[in-house]
Amino acid sequence: MPVVETEAVVLRTHRLGETDKIASLLTRSLGRCRVAASGAQRTRSRFGSALEPLSYIRAWVFERENRDLQRLNSAEVIESFFSIQRDYRIQVATQYLAEVTESFLPEREVNERAFRLLLAVLRALKSSGEVTRPLLYFNYWMLRLGGFLPHLNQCGRCGTSLGEAGAFYGQGSDGLYCAECRRPATPVEISRQARAMGETLRGSRLEDWLRRQEAPAGAKQLRLFLEEVIQTHLERKLVTRALLAEEI
Amino acid sequence: MKDYAEPLARLIEELKQLPGIGQKSAQRIAFHLERAPREDVERLARSLLDAKDKIRLCSLCNNFTDTDPCRFCADSSRDHQLVCVVETPYNVVTVEKTREFHGVYHVLHGALAPLQGIGPEQLKLQNLMERVKRGEVRELIIATSPTVEGEATAVYLSKLFKPLGLRVTRIAMGLPVGSEIEFADEVTMSKALEGRREM
Repeated sequence: MPVVETEAVVLRTHRLGETDKIASLLTRSLGRCRVAASGAQRTRSRFGSALEPLSYIRAWVFERENRDLQRLNSAEVIESFFSIQRDYRIQVATQYLAEVTESFLPEREVNERAFRLLLAVLRALKSSGEVTRPLLYFNYWMLRLGGFLPHLNQCGRCGTSLGEAGAFYGQGSDGLYCAECRRPATPVEISRQARAMGETLRGSRLEDWLRRQEAPAGAKQLRLFLEEVIQTHLERKLVTRALLAEEI
Repeated sequence: MKDYAEPLARLIEELKQLPGIGQKSAQRIAFHLERAPREDVERLARSLLDAKDKIRLCSLCNNFTDTDPCRFCADSSRDHQLVCVVETPYNVVTVEKTREFHGVYHVLHGALAPLQGIGPEQLKLQNLMERVKRGEVRELIIATSPTVEGEATAVYLSKLFKPLGLRVTRIAMGLPVGSEIEFADEVTMSKALEGRREM
């Protein structure tokens, strides 16, 4: 039973019995996995604050093959995101990141790019205090890395270039539709400006993009559309999405 | 063929629904009850139903109680202008054990946890707001857990109640008594430094 040392981000934790916790981690070298942390609920737990949601930690995991649940031997904090989550708006945003990451990435599949994306977006939330742009960047790149990013300039049904014309989507959409192909179920219009932002997102690093003044017009429109696409691919409602809509 | 007689299997299934009880524990409890005298089992069943029928939420503080208002809210020797806000009814017991607190309580029945779909709407705040608006509260001590969820709840409450002219305080966070500084992580240590006091 080898102990594996890996960097990880804590996605969420559940209570297990009276003193233990189960933590869902996105690790650098084991992919997404679940670990049992014995005694983690105790006041004087050896894990301290390392298992608080979205902590970036160094974890030592007893790896047992063919087991769903691994055992967490110890953990230490590399970077904490505890303080930023005191703001409820940021807390909702960070837990949205955790929910999407946990639902989107398969278990035990190493994904270095997704790991770096999550960490970069958390750092952007911490440094900027802004929510819209980091979340938009996360949605865009999560879909792109997963191979689910729809065409932003082409109708998902007839393939026509959307050009200057409006594009539409609705609940359950996984792409955009032109005015000809739109149905009553796709009532939300998304501007050309919002769609053009896709190009910027593909070519920019998050920190460079955040250096520009405030979130450009259309950023929220595009973020909401990409959220819908993520939810469509997950085939279930994201719990944090409703709270996100209320706050941001 | 089933492993157990149907009533026993049903009992095990019901016990398994309880928090912290798995298959093995459920079996153990079920067999214990089967072997116990009938009057012991009847007493247990009666106390379960009694608790279910008689326990409700205090209309002032949301604590579990069999009388309304609860014994804390009805106690005139307590300082009713000092309110300690906690997440769950068993947190009341934890604070009471200190014998240091002589105010009253307010139980939120949760903390802000977006991943579980718990937002401000789900917290039981209405009767606290009413108490505050009636001018019955001088200070709120926020005693939510020192977790991300507890902290976010504390900040939310402070933003909600401070503008109404109340003193809003937060219980101290930092090193637990009996621990060693060398094992403290950066978050715990920084909270301990932040909450330092003059000696």
